[in-house]
Amino acid sequence: MDEVIRVESVAYSYNGTPAVDHISFEVGAGEVLGFLGPNGAGKTTTLKILIGLLPVQEGSVSILGMDIKKQRKEVQSRIGVCFEEKNLYEEMSAAENLRFFASLFGARDFDPVPLLERVGLPVERKDRVHNFSKGMKQRLMIARSLVNSPDILFLDEPTDGLDPVSSKAIRTLVTEEKARGGAVFLTTHDMMEADVLSDRVAFINEGKIAALDTPDNLKHQFGRRTVKVRYYEGDQLTEEELSLDEEGTAVRVEDIMAQRRVLDMHTEEATLEDIFIQLTGRRLD
Amino acid sequence: MSLKHSAKILFKDLRLGPRSPIFLFVIVMPVLMTVVIQLVFGGLFAAEPRLGIVDLGSSELIAQAKKLDGIRVTVVKDEATLKRMVEANDLDAGLVLQPGFDQAVRAGEKPTLGFYISGESLASNRIILSVTALELVRGVEGKPAPVEVTVKTAGDATALTISERLVPLLVFYALLIAAVFLTAFSFAEERERHTLSAVLVTPASIGDMLAAKGALGFGLAIVMSVITLALNGSLKGEALALVLALLVAALMLTEVGLIFGTAAKDSKGLFTLMKSTGILFMAPVFFYLFPGWPQWIAKLFPTWWIIDPVVGVAVRGETLGGIWWTLVVALGICVLLVPLIALTTSRMQST
Repeated sequence: MDEVIRVESVAYSYNGTPAVDHISFEVGAGEVLGFLGPNGAGKTTTLKILIGLLPVQEGSVSILGMDIKKQRKEVQSRIGVCFEEKNLYEEMSAAENLRFFASLFGARDFDPVPLLERVGLPVERKDRVHNFSKGMKQRLMIARSLVNSPDILFLDEPTDGLDPVSSKAIRTLVTEEKARGGAVFLTTHDMMEADVLSDRVAFINEGKIAALDTPDNLKHQFGRRTVKVRYYEGDQLTEEELSLDEEGTAVRVEDIMAQRRVLDMHTEEATLEDIFIQLTGRRLD
Repeated sequence: MSLKHSAKILFKDLRLGPRSPIFLFVIVMPVLMTVVIQLVFGGLFAAEPRLGIVDLGSSELIAQAKKLDGIRVTVVKDEATLKRMVEANDLDAGLVLQPGFDQAVRAGEKPTLGFYISGESLASNRIILSVTALELVRGVEGKPAPVEVTVKTAGDATALTISERLVPLLVFYALLIAAVFLTAFSFAEERERHTLSAVLVTPASIGDMLAAKGALGFGLAIVMSVITLALNGSLKGEALALVLALLVAALMLTEVGLIFGTAAKDSKGLFTLMKSTGILFMAPVFFYLFPGWPQWIAKLFPTWWIIDPVVGVAVRGETLGGIWWTLVVALGICVLLVPLIALTTSRMQST
């Protein structure tokens, strides 16, 4: 897999207070990297460094083989960014917003209709973005991040506080971009979203990367696989949790099945949130 | 920096202008202030005295009346029409010249001269028209005036009227709100709404954004200051000198607008900044309102160096030769402001 983002020992501090503390990682083409962490962990600062909005104070960042310090504008012409804040021109219509940003990328005769259709926004709407719902604004922001057909998409909390329909539309778009061969850098504190969308996830806490791997590997490495059985002992309902990785579990399950009236039985694996808490001692939200 | 990107941002701002209350405020306020001041102190709406004349014969008084400066003369066909016009205050006063009026005057017959006065006309206009009518009759009579009037000016003959003294205030206000306020607010608003970040992750740079905002404020400042001068009857003097004076003034104030825009975190911070420093910008104009104050103090304020050339050309009738040194100092101040813009921009980008 070709490497499209390479971050080496990057550090950033605001007036002496470290926000990002010597982190390193890379992202390949066609890969979705979920950057997970609670508020204030350093996710947005990292994203701002990668997209060239904050300077690289320490370390190095290479995007699409270009040094962000030296070729910031060349990098920015090939990336798309969807911010956490709703930063659209609210006095313009959706199409006007897209046309304006497309013009900054040098697009001529840009047609906003296909993009609006792709994100599920009504193309006939001519009213100002100010009148849009939160979900519609977020979908328009995603559409805006795609006006230049970017090689890398940076999404900062793209589904935060959205309705299920808008969230699904955005997740579908991320999947489509990945299928197209584009890389996606996704910051979120929604572990379900990260689990579903990401090829790999990085846990960031207090500016440091606590773990970085595929969701499955993290679950296998740090999670505890268990089977939970509920059965009746006489008239009383009893619940028992058995580790799948311990000897004797199979015998115990057989025993329960033979001796008891089983109500239900299902395996349980650790969630990314469980692993995050285990690694950092903090919750994600 | 790319002119193409700046032009696109500027075009966007101009298109959004009519939807922005601040943009409209910048356009409306100088005009509104001019109208209010002209209404209070006279000028724009102080019409010339209007005299209507009905000539039932063929008096040479009409030809003499038409030569008068500062009086609007209307020839009316009959007395009834004249009376109706005076009653409706379409005329301040009306004269009715009977047939053979000139001959009767010359013969010393003391003919009747009908003179209508509108009840709604200004007292000053009535006095002017009454005296003028008598002078015209004396002209027809062909006799010299019985007295020799010597005109003596009381007070400072070169002093400016209150309306003229308010011109610097109005022009500077027009320049200030467009070049400083609009530039700064437009930038601060982009920052506050985070649209600045959205633009800065495209090929457009912070320099493009600053240039666009600067061009917006600068251009509007020039337009509004010219309109304000025209409305105040001060668009006179050497055109090149006036254009240069306005360009330098707009340039300095636009730079200040960019400093404010990049220094303020949001529009609230910008308002605080402007309120706390506004008096320093406006201070020199008060020295024009009160000429008795020590004028050298005004020169301590950087903005005096941009106000005085405009006032010099537009109000005092100076030429480029009389203001060039002041403009050079003003340009020097403009150059000194450039590193300040770079500093505030750099601080803004690191936060």
